Amino acid sequence: MAKIELRGLGHAYTFVGGEAQFALHPLDLTWEDGGTYALLGPSGCGKSTMLNIVSGLLEPSLGQVLINGRDVTALGPIKRNIAQVFQFPVVYPAKTVYGNLAFPLVCRQKSKGEIDRRVNEVAELLNLDKFLQKPARSLTPDLKQLISLGRGLVRDDVAVILMDEPLTVIDPQLKFSLRRKLRDISARHGHTLVYVTHDQNEAMTLAEQVVVMDSGRVVQMGTPQELFENPVHPHVGYFIGTPSMNFLPGRLHGNDVEVLGHKVGLPTTSELSGVSEILVGIRPEFISLAPRAGKKTIPGLVVDVQDMGGFAILSAKLSEDCELKVRARDHVPPVGEQCHLDLQSDRVRFYLDNRLVN
Amino acid sequence: MRNLLRLIKFAAILIWSAFVVAPFLWALTTSFKTANGVTSGATYIPFVDYQPSLGAWKGLFGSGGGSIDIMGPFVNSAVVTLSASLISLILGTLAAYGLSRFTYKAGPVGNADLTFFFISQRIMPPVVLAIPFFLMLGLFGLLDTIFGLVIVYIALLMPIAVWVMVDFFNQVPRELDETAMIDGCNPVETFWRVILPNSKPGLVVAGIFCVVFGWNDFFFAFTLTFTKTQLLPVAIVSLNSSVTPWWSLSASALISVAPLILVAFLVERYLDKGNIAGGGK
Repeated sequence: MAKIELRGLGHAYTFVGGEAQFALHPLDLTWEDGGTYALLGPSGCGKSTMLNIVSGLLEPSLGQVLINGRDVTALGPIKRNIAQVFQFPVVYPAKTVYGNLAFPLVCRQKSKGEIDRRVNEVAELLNLDKFLQKPARSLTPDLKQLISLGRGLVRDDVAVILMDEPLTVIDPQLKFSLRRKLRDISARHGHTLVYVTHDQNEAMTLAEQVVVMDSGRVVQMGTPQELFENPVHPHVGYFIGTPSMNFLPGRLHGNDVEVLGHKVGLPTTSELSGVSEILVGIRPEFISLAPRAGKKTIPGLVVDVQDMGGFAILSAKLSEDCELKVRARDHVPPVGEQCHLDLQSDRVRFYLDNRLVN
Repeated sequence: MRNLLRLIKFAAILIWSAFVVAPFLWALTTSFKTANGVTSGATYIPFVDYQPSLGAWKGLFGSGGGSIDIMGPFVNSAVVTLSASLISLILGTLAAYGLSRFTYKAGPVGNADLTFFFISQRIMPPVVLAIPFFLMLGLFGLLDTIFGLVIVYIALLMPIAVWVMVDFFNQVPRELDETAMIDGCNPVETFWRVILPNSKPGLVVAGIFCVVFGWNDFFFAFTLTFTKTQLLPVAIVSLNSSVTPWWSLSASALISVAPLILVAFLVERYLDKGNIAGGGK
């Protein structure tokens, strides 16, 4: 239950010729008390590095970590009072499930009665009560992962729970119920939860705020809806949403941006003087299929249709090197047929030098 | 085809077993022979070819200790081997954990060099070490004493313990240490309360290696002792005089391998189960 602040935090594992090769570029970030946050990004983008710095397993090359306003940069994990769950479930193989759950309290020299009470509480919460006397190594991976989580929860004063892709080894069915359990627990206990993942669905369903990272930088932080509707960088558009955002080359023509000779609207920003080319982004969800050619529609050739059950993902070729994905519900034209695409003008986003300029 | 393959496999195992067991059988039968049974040509079947006798065994264990003292050296060997192995295992395990988990640097010398330094002690031919050991023990008046031998054996056995345990700790997932630290252990507690209880398989392997090498060592036991302190291998070899007493020699050789066979049976079950890799994944 704490507020975490990262101030000018950066880390480099290697230095080439005295110059830092940043795995995590210096950044400022604040995680509010009781919030649930997801760090989302491809493998190797610095998510785990950031997490290990927060937990104290790694000392940053630059900057400070503040927990509730206190500078803890130089303190080890034990002084920070955090819980961390790793990608692969870690249990103490020589101990029983009870011994595993009790260990953090034993380390803190709590009384026997208190340990017993807390362990039973947490075991019940995580439905582990049946297994308490079993050796921890005999359990399945998902139960082991619950133990890892349980070791974090037995300490009721834990400042923040950090999770590093904790559901990677769990099968999809269980993933769903575990995710729900995680959300319940964090909502009920008011823990600050930071969750690292490369799965956008996981990030979007679990977290109130998603921090999108790429190559050691935070690209955008916002609610899932903000990220979906207003990606500030094409990378966010690519990374979030299935299928990802469409990007088209646009030309600035007087008062309008034209895509392949069709007007699609105009960015409201004033920094466009002297610019003639601009990147146009539109979500597949915000393109509709018009029954016939109209003033605003763009013609295309259907080259592929993927039936996803409730909807279809249609690929339309607009020109030799320009293709659009459309999320269509009904009246999906077959492959090889002509279609007419209607772009919702209020949903069109414009990017200049990889920056949103609407 | 499959059956043929099985047949070949079993045949190979059978031949190899015979090859391994034959010397033991030879020693066992010889230990029950009299001088006549050994020297007057080859004999095989007891009671038919030769008359079995307990002479050799009586010589070792007969009333009043028998004519040959084998139990004294046996106890000496046990004390030296066990204490040296235990100390090597304790020091070696601590060193190995440090080498596996922490980074040491002194100029260009790093962890890998330190580990190699330990192992290189075993690469050196023992003859090279004999003279320095002799001079140093002499300097401290430790020649021909149990204590002196223990010190020398620690120097010989610890590299083995370090070698085995570094390898073992490297296979223990690092997340186990990290989890322990997050759960509230300092580095010493992490080692003591989490890593060590899970290291039985590695400790058993390292321990066996130490005991086997220590127990079987002849060279240093021979060069660093004279008459007061005698270890088992030296005692057995010194039975050899102008007439080789094959019967006593066989009996005492059997006594000397018996503890190792016993150890092998007792710990064999530790070797294949209880792998610490179960900690992660």
